[in-house]
Amino acid sequence: MSTSQTDVREIARAAMKSALAKGAKEAAATFSRSRNVSLEWRDGKVEKINEATTRGLTLQLYVDGRYSQVSSSDLRPEALDTFIADSISMTRVLSEDPFRSLPDPALYEGRASVDLQLEDPAYPTVTPDQRRKAAQQMEEAARAVKGAESILSVSTGFDDTRTESFRVASNGFEGTRVDTVFFVSASVSVKDADGRRPEDYSFGGSRFLGEVPAVSEVGRQAAERAISRLGAKKPPSAVMTLVIDNRAAGRLMGALGGPLSGASLQQKRSFLEGKLGQAVGSPLLDVVDDPLIPRAFGSRLYDGEGLAARKRPVFEKGVLRSYYIDTYYGKKLKMAPTSGGVSNLAWTLGAKPQAAILKDVGEGILVTSFLGGNSNGTTGDYSFGVQGFRVRGGERAEPVGEMNIAGNMLELLKKLTAVGNDPWPYSSMRTPTLVFEGVQLAGV
Amino acid sequence: MPEDRGMTRRKAMGLGAAALGSVAAYDILAGPARALASTGPGATSGIGYFARFGVTEKLIQATLGEALSSGGDFADVFFQHQVANTYLLEDGAVNRAFADVKLGVGVRVVKGDQTGYGFTEDLTPEGLRLAAKTAAAIATGPSRPAPARFHATGELPSRYAVKTRWEDVRPEAKLPLLRSVNEKAMGADPRLRKVRVYFVDESGAMLLADSNGQIVEDLQPMTTMGLTCIAEQDGRREENFHNVAARDDISYYSPDRVDRMVRECVKNTMILFEATPAPAGEMPVVLAAGSSGILLHEAIGHGMEADFNRKNVSIYSDKIGKPVAKPFVNIVDEGTQEHARGAINVDDEGTVAGKTMLVQDGVLTTYLHDKISAKHYGVAPTGSGRRESYQHAPMPRMRSTYMLPGPHKKDEIIASVKKGLYCTRFTNGQVQIGAGDFTFYVKNGFLIEDGKLTRPIKDVNIIGNGPKVLELVDMVSDDLAIDEGGWTCGKNGQSVPVSQGLPTVRVASITVGGSTSKS
Repeated sequence: MSTSQTDVREIARAAMKSALAKGAKEAAATFSRSRNVSLEWRDGKVEKINEATTRGLTLQLYVDGRYSQVSSSDLRPEALDTFIADSISMTRVLSEDPFRSLPDPALYEGRASVDLQLEDPAYPTVTPDQRRKAAQQMEEAARAVKGAESILSVSTGFDDTRTESFRVASNGFEGTRVDTVFFVSASVSVKDADGRRPEDYSFGGSRFLGEVPAVSEVGRQAAERAISRLGAKKPPSAVMTLVIDNRAAGRLMGALGGPLSGASLQQKRSFLEGKLGQAVGSPLLDVVDDPLIPRAFGSRLYDGEGLAARKRPVFEKGVLRSYYIDTYYGKKLKMAPTSGGVSNLAWTLGAKPQAAILKDVGEGILVTSFLGGNSNGTTGDYSFGVQGFRVRGGERAEPVGEMNIAGNMLELLKKLTAVGNDPWPYSSMRTPTLVFEGVQLAGV
Repeated sequence: MPEDRGMTRRKAMGLGAAALGSVAAYDILAGPARALASTGPGATSGIGYFARFGVTEKLIQATLGEALSSGGDFADVFFQHQVANTYLLEDGAVNRAFADVKLGVGVRVVKGDQTGYGFTEDLTPEGLRLAAKTAAAIATGPSRPAPARFHATGELPSRYAVKTRWEDVRPEAKLPLLRSVNEKAMGADPRLRKVRVYFVDESGAMLLADSNGQIVEDLQPMTTMGLTCIAEQDGRREENFHNVAARDDISYYSPDRVDRMVRECVKNTMILFEATPAPAGEMPVVLAAGSSGILLHEAIGHGMEADFNRKNVSIYSDKIGKPVAKPFVNIVDEGTQEHARGAINVDDEGTVAGKTMLVQDGVLTTYLHDKISAKHYGVAPTGSGRRESYQHAPMPRMRSTYMLPGPHKKDEIIASVKKGLYCTRFTNGQVQIGAGDFTFYVKNGFLIEDGKLTRPIKDVNIIGNGPKVLELVDMVSDDLAIDEGGWTCGKNGQSVPVSQGLPTVRVASITVGGSTSKS
């Protein structure tokens, strides 16, 4: 329970050495330990407190040209020994795979020498009382808004985590990472005249306790958002201009993650295959994958394989500039590895806040959240449930819901006509408000 | 498919996100590390399996004593051991495998409807003591004694006994299954470009003991196999997916079942080349028998989980005893189907899982209860208290959710629709528990024109409101089928395996999220 950081390193190194001694030609090991405290508060009292320190070990094994990845939380020495031996036996019966190897060690080099400021040294000082008070204040703020008499229930929460991890690979990689994260959230249910009980939420967080947004703001916003849903109606089906709220827009970008990956390209299941260097979106689609933003949620000095993290354009004035390629699929595709996954998305922002964008749009729909739906990464077809507000005369008007948008991602990206100045700070997607013209909306 | 990251983070942390539930057909994106299992004679009383980890009644007693040291009303301790193996075939070869072992214990203390929870991977007396002490902090008051003796509660069922436990099956015996699926699929149609096959076997064991002296162990096997087909025709590509899952052993993969899985996947991929975009707007929708049970999961199942109702935030909070559907609509959630993915002998609070009528003769009947909500409502728990792992406190969850057969015939139902949709395959769904709005994503379906199935459609989301849609279920066929797909239900950041089923059903009107205008 009280292993020090030295132990974190020793456990990973010992596991890697054990794998090599038992017959692995190459191996990598990652050990991580995480402490999380989560407090949920509801209607005047604590609902639940969850607190624990958890740990886990993951190994990548390269045995006789064959590959497996195995993990365990059972770290009793004799159990771990048997587990590694059994895992190597299991790997031996697989088919050989000439494309499997640890990364080229040259790609470990050049790790940025910056302080990403991911760990708040004040983490251990958070007290149970502090969490409780923050949660209570959020509820009080929620119940103080205009229209609070329609509130059925307020749930709030305070959540903090400190994670330390160490990765070692047999071809010369070592990396240590410690990060902290603090989140506060509030969720409010209200009673509508027709018996529906709409709920909405607000949340915010930071890697540093001192930068967590004011809890009174979070509580107030949650209540205002929920109350604003009262009387929501299903609109008529139409082709409309969509303004997608910065908090919601990450869902759209999420649908691009799969098709941008090496695995999807190699498996012929990406609608973005063969589009490198081509315009796939409007010139306003301008996004850099930036792993080096201080204090951001997706920041890192090296990725999951140990590749040194670098800033890389993904879309440049609408032109697709790079895919997410890991070592394995890079070899299969004969492409240079970039990184296996998204870090932070840094957008070239527009000049206007959302309110000014609504003025420009005049008539349309403001989408404030998505509900279900999916997209087909092979063809780019998407169909998502959405809710939000009508925009009339350049202003946010009545709430609308139980509606859906559908089309093809390639067409949609070309319809991007405005980008806000408001990147959503509580997600690594960091999406600003986005405007798309001429989207099919299904309602009545 | 990925969700927006901010939301995923919130859900993972279980922060205030009380009101979303979801289900998806394919959970492998979440990693190879899902559930795991071994097998045996059914749930048993006392310490059998967990003795190998040094678990004794004395240790449990000491843990519960610490858990009750600050005045909690109730405490339980949940031990879990899971071993999962996943094999993946890609580009013609089984060229990677994943193994995951989970060993840990969670301690819960309940005071009224408040919960304290702590967990650890360290099964030593000191590790357990610290977890219990953490959980105990939810309460303040004088300590209560731990039970001196432990006992079983009533008769324990056996719903997924197997001949061969997964830990006794060598990897070499599993790989031919994946290879045969690949060969059969690649041989089925020259337009196939890629086939991926995955296979998961899980040996899971749980032990639950509580401050009432109850003790129960259950061994929970699980297996899933699925394939993805990627095909190309005239420069256009399409992809589809099919999987099957059960709490069973390797004999589950009979030649018939494997052939059927391959045939369905290839057929449902190739038909996508003929599909036209779905219309947008309200229309009648007919749901095919089987996996259309996703409708019930989203439209009513989550809303009937008693925690949402205890908190007064479900759209069904004030509807018990009231008519919510036509009199021929009966909806069940239960854990008793032998070898079903959603079957459980006992839930993760040790309660024997039975059959719960959510809707009987059109009237809303019973919520799904765990021990906290059952106490709140003064009723017996329904055996619905489930958790993803030892890292989580249990909450009310679905098991296998389906509608009983009704008075109509499938052909009659399709013939009744002038212009609408017939939906056959689904990938995922989601619901807002309070507002009642829900969606499910249709991967395959057909247009119905003048009472006949005409052109295929694909990739369309359907969105409705739970109580409104239940009222609009106006025809139910006699052909109930329980789907055997690998459905996984998500709620507050916890995933659990579920089953679902439906007879052919007509919804008189619902919004279809197509990309072309209706007329």
